[in-house]
Parts: sequence; structure tokens; C-alpha cells
Amino acid sequence: MKRRWSLVLLCLLLVVPALAFGQAKTTLELLIHQNDPMVNYINSMNEKFQAKYPAITVNVSVVKADELATSTQTRLTANDVDVIDMFGFAQGILPFMKGVDKPNWQTLIEAGYLMDLTGQPFLKFYDASAIKDAGSFNGRVYEVNTGRYAFTGVFYNKDLFAKYAVKVPTTWSQLLAAAATFKKNGIAPMTCGGKDGWPVLVAGYGILLSYYPDQAALVKGLWTGEVKWNSPKSVEMWKRMQILARDLIEPGASAIAFDAAPGRFASGAAAMLPAGSWDAPAIQAANPNLKLGYFPMPASDNAADNKYLGGKYDVGWVVNAHTAKKDAALKWLDFFSQPANYQEYVTATGIMPTQPTATLNTAFGKEAKPYLANFRLGFELLWANIKGQGQWMQPNASFFKPFNQWEDPAKLADQVQADLEVALKAAK
Amino acid sequence: MSSTLYAFGSRKSRLVPYLLLLPGLLLYLFVSLGPSVATTIYSFTDASGLLGTAVHWVGLANYEEFLFRGANARDNWEITLRTLQFAFLVTVVQTGFGLLAASLLNQRLRGRNAFRTIFFMPVILGATIIGLMWTLFLYPLGGPVEKLLNLLGTRSDFMGGPPSEAFYWIVWIQIWANMGTTMIIFLGGLQTIPNELHEAARIDGAGAWATFRAITFPLLTPSLNTNLLLNIIGSLQAWQLMLVIKGPTNGLNVLGIWIYALAFGRQSNNPTQAAMRQGYGAAASVLLFLLVLVVGLTAQYLIRRRERRLLG
Repeated sequence: MKRRWSLVLLCLLLVVPALAFGQAKTTLELLIHQNDPMVNYINSMNEKFQAKYPAITVNVSVVKADELATSTQTRLTANDVDVIDMFGFAQGILPFMKGVDKPNWQTLIEAGYLMDLTGQPFLKFYDASAIKDAGSFNGRVYEVNTGRYAFTGVFYNKDLFAKYAVKVPTTWSQLLAAAATFKKNGIAPMTCGGKDGWPVLVAGYGILLSYYPDQAALVKGLWTGEVKWNSPKSVEMWKRMQILARDLIEPGASAIAFDAAPGRFASGAAAMLPAGSWDAPAIQAANPNLKLGYFPMPASDNAADNKYLGGKYDVGWVVNAHTAKKDAALKWLDFFSQPANYQEYVTATGIMPTQPTATLNTAFGKEAKPYLANFRLGFELLWANIKGQGQWMQPNASFFKPFNQWEDPAKLADQVQADLEVALKAAK
Repeated sequence: MSSTLYAFGSRKSRLVPYLLLLPGLLLYLFVSLGPSVATTIYSFTDASGLLGTAVHWVGLANYEEFLFRGANARDNWEITLRTLQFAFLVTVVQTGFGLLAASLLNQRLRGRNAFRTIFFMPVILGATIIGLMWTLFLYPLGGPVEKLLNLLGTRSDFMGGPPSEAFYWIVWIQIWANMGTTMIIFLGGLQTIPNELHEAARIDGAGAWATFRAITFPLLTPSLNTNLLLNIIGSLQAWQLMLVIKGPTNGLNVLGIWIYALAFGRQSNNPTQAAMRQGYGAAASVLLFLLVLVVGLTAQYLIRRRERRLLG
């Protein structure tokens, strides 16, 4: 009898731990950048994912957008992250680009840090062109890109425009006239998240696009010398960037963090917000009653030059190639990619979808739709930093006072061109 | 004949002090000297910092690029000069304010201990809390200082404004954050000065300023020297507050934060095309070390010479 019970106890001691191990929870580590609507959606989606896969827990880490690259590298090196949000990579180094710094995403791929996702079943839900243009390298797929954002447009408060009888500007002169009307009535024409620097850079991209609608040609022209940052056309562009930074964006915007700007705009403190379409859900959440509009930044006095919307492929998912939780990571990607879940993501974030079955049915989506036929990839996805390139070698409206030191657009234009030429010479 | 008792026998016991020093030495090797040597070796490579990426020996190419290549080199020299300017301002002002505060708090005042605590508190707050506090205090859209400026008919963007203004605000915050340490060292020095010397001077008719100049200040030389060296070395390497308050910013960077930006891909505003270059960043940090060494040794030589002249 004693022997029998001993055998039963021994079997239990062997089987129970095995059962427990078999049902041990896997914690999937997710790293994403700060974007309130996206973070909120991912958290709510994770609850449904965890309900479907009770053996998997998803732990989300959120970092600021300009710290994402640093966090990605350190966590991949430490191998303590599984799925990461990475901005869409449009192209690698082109043949005419010499002496350039390889972008991080390319270094990560070549070092074997990003999992090859080619052939995964969930890719079939996405546009083939989006997969190719925003997540592939050397014919292999490394990123599932979730959508595009436009960033050369301007949000506007339709009620304020109606109150002061201001029409949507389609030319630069009309924009200045609209700004003057708002200022006269004590309303800031524009606000912006100047504290973080990059929102003012993004606000200036609309001006760059009006002057150089073919941004790929702009990049090549800068390399070959056909386009110069201090040509008369470019100087005019710099002058308009200065007006944007100095006169249109409200004083004190240098204190406004990028994630506070949508709320400030939604409160009615400013009539317009030059920003990326990623801010649309945050604006609507801050003020659901706000009647929101969006128009391309009209930096030219020829309305035909102002019909383009520039942007980028934004959030995409990459997987750590060394993860021990490959199965969980691919399950998560598959769950995210299911059309029903993806549609909810699009609605929550306002991103322009990369799945053909999804639609952006929000108020913002309807506003942006007429301009999407003229969508162009933005300069920052196409330019590669050159070794030796100076700190001013960038089409950046935040170089001007009050955000930085420049007061003379012509002098800045000369400096930008000089910084570029020195780098090009050293790169040959 | 006297005999000394050794716990473990005479030969082994001579090893005991070294054995007791060993943990500290090992800690120093692993945490300080080892990484420093590794950084120096790294500086001669094109390492990105990613394990598994091919690393190539590039010799002095990183140094050549930092010091001489393109407009980049111009920016780097500008940043180096700005670092020296930052260190000079912080050292002079922090040392002066620290001495003033210590002199005042060495008096018999009611609540003296409370004031000493208040002055020292910023030292223990940490860069994140200090950065947040001052960001709110200097908020240009309705913050307390902005409201005061509005009463005077003016306004400012403070740290968000042009670098020519933002720089001095960051210098001030750096001083505010570290003045407590300077004050405590001076306070210790003041308390070693015998009161009889001050009494004798008073009896001889010397006023407060004459007493300070002829007696207190010369006798504070060891404390002054310690503070000068700590402030010079600390301010040359400062970067945490700047990272919290502003991040890498054109026209405002000092070497400490620039090294961080180079190594971790934050040298431009383009997050898609950012590139991490830790070999290059390592070269920049070796150059910063050499700068601190040269400035520190020069300062130490001048300070020691003055100390020998005053105190013999």
C-alpha cells in the first residue's frame, strides 16, 4: 500500500511541474513610440489578444518618438524586446549617394537583428506596394507597415473660420490674410509643439513640398548640384519658412510639447495647427465637438503648386530575429493584421490604411481624401545624412528665431548650401 | 624585544591590506578603468554599437572626421568652445555663490540648519526633477517668471528660445543644481578656521571685508582648490540637465550631450535616417577626456602654486 502511494506521489511530482511548464505564461515585450491614439488602441487590442491567447501576456513600453531609434538599438542588443514599432523605411542608399551614414534600419537588417517576414500569411492582407515600398530590403520583407500619415497639411478650426468669415486658403497670400484676420481678433493663427523641435520641422515640410513637389528629384538634384539651397527659388522658400516660424506660429510655442499641441488647438486658442495627420484623433478626443478641417500648406501663390500632400509611411512592426518568443510575436502580428482589428486601428489612429479593405471613415479622412491622389513621399525618407554634413544641412523652419538663432533667410540659405557642399566634396 | 602579533602568520598578514583593497580595485577595474580602455579601443573602429555587426579597424579616421572633416568639424570645434565657455561660467559663478552662501550660513542665524538643508536640496533631487521643475517655472505661456516679465512689459521663450538666451538659462540651472555641494565644502573649510584669528583681527580694528580678504579667504585655499577642480571637471562633462531640458539642439550643444547624440543617432532631426555611430562617439569622448585632462591639470598646477605661495 505504501509502495503504491509512493508511486502515485512520484508520478504527480513528475507530471504536475511538466503541466505547469507547458502552460507557463509567455510575456511578449512590445516597444512603441508615444502617440496617444496608437498607444490607447494597442493597449485595448492587447486585452482582446490576451483573452484569445491566455498563455501570452503583452508588456508595452512607450518612448518618445525621437528616442525610439536609441531604445530600439539598446533593447535589441540586450535581446529583451520582441516586437518593435519602426518608422517605414522607404529606400536604402542610392548609387549616387557616397560617403553617407547607413541608416539604422539597414544596419539592423544587415546585422541580422530583424526577422525576415517574407511569406508570412498575414502579409496577404496588405497592399503589395506598401509592403514593397515601406518594409522591404533587397527583395525580403522585414516590416509590416501599418499606414501612411500626411505631414504637410494644416488642421483648421471650421467654426473659427466661419466666425471670422475666413475661407480655406489655397495660396500663400490668402494664408497670410487669414492669419492677419485671426491676429486682429485675438486668436493665434497657428500653434505647434515647438518644445520638441521636430514639429516645427514638420510644419515647414509643407512649404518645402510646394516649392519642390518631386522630393526624390530634389534629393538627387542636391547631390548633383542641379538644385541648391541658396538658389533664388530656395531663398524664397526659406523666407516663407521664417514667416511661418516667426509670425504665424504663436509666441511661446517653444514651450508646447508635441503631444500638448493638439489639445491647445482643440481648445480654440489657435485657428490652425500645421501638423501630421497623426494628430487628428488626439484633436477629436480633446474636443469631440470641434469641426475639424485639413488643407495642404499653401506656400506658393500659384494654387496649382499647393495641391500636394506629403507624408511618410509611419508605424510598422518589426520582430526581433533573436527572440525566443517567435510564435507569440507572429501570433500578435497576425492578430493585429486581421481586417476587423486593423480597421479599428485605422479609425482610432487616423492613419491612412495600407490594407485595401480598410477605409478611413473619420471626419479627418473625408477632409484628406481629395488630396490623397497627390500624395508624395517626404524628403526625410529619401535623404541620407552625409559624413561631414554640417548641423544646418536640413530644410528646417525651426532654425529661425524664436526657435533658434537665424534671422536672415539668405544667410541661412548660404550656410545650408555651404554645409552641403563641404560634405559632398569630402564624400567624393 | 617587542614582537608584533600577526593574525595569520607574518607573511600572510602582510597580504591582508591588499586583499582588503581588492574588492574596491576590482570594482574600479570593471566599472571605470575597463570601460574607459574599451571606449578608447572602440574609438579606432567603425562600430555602430550593435552586437553582431561587422566592426572594422579604421585607425584615426574617427578623430580625423571629428576634428577636420567637412562642416561637421566646424560644428565640433564650435561645440568644444561652447563647452569651455559653459565650464568657465559655471565654475566662476558656482564657486562665487557657494562661497557667499557658506559665509552667510556660517553666521549664528536662527534657522541656519534649515537654510543649509534648503540650499543643499537641489543636489539630491536629480536631473529629471530639476529639469521638470525649471521647465514649469520658466514656462513661456503663463509660467511664474513669464507673468513677472509681462508685468515689466516684456516676454521670453527662456529655454525654448534662441540658443544665445537658452544657453544662459541652462548655465543658471546647472549652477542652481550643484551649488549645494560647493557650499558644503566651503562650510567645512570655514569651520576649520580658528575663531581666535577673527577675534584678533576685530581687536586690531579690521572690518569684515579686511578680515575676509586677509584671513578667511587665504585659509580657505584648500576648500577653494577642491571646489574649483570639482566644478571644472564636472561642468566640462555635464550633459544630463541639457538632455532632460532640451535634448540635442543645434547651436546649444556641449560636448557631453553631443557625444550622446553621435553615439545614439540623435545628431539630426531625421528619425528615419538616423545612424548610430558608437565608434565615432567613442572618439569624441576620448577627445573630451583629453580636454578635461589638459584643463584639469593646468588648473591644478596653477591652484597648487597659489596654495604653496599662500600657505607654504
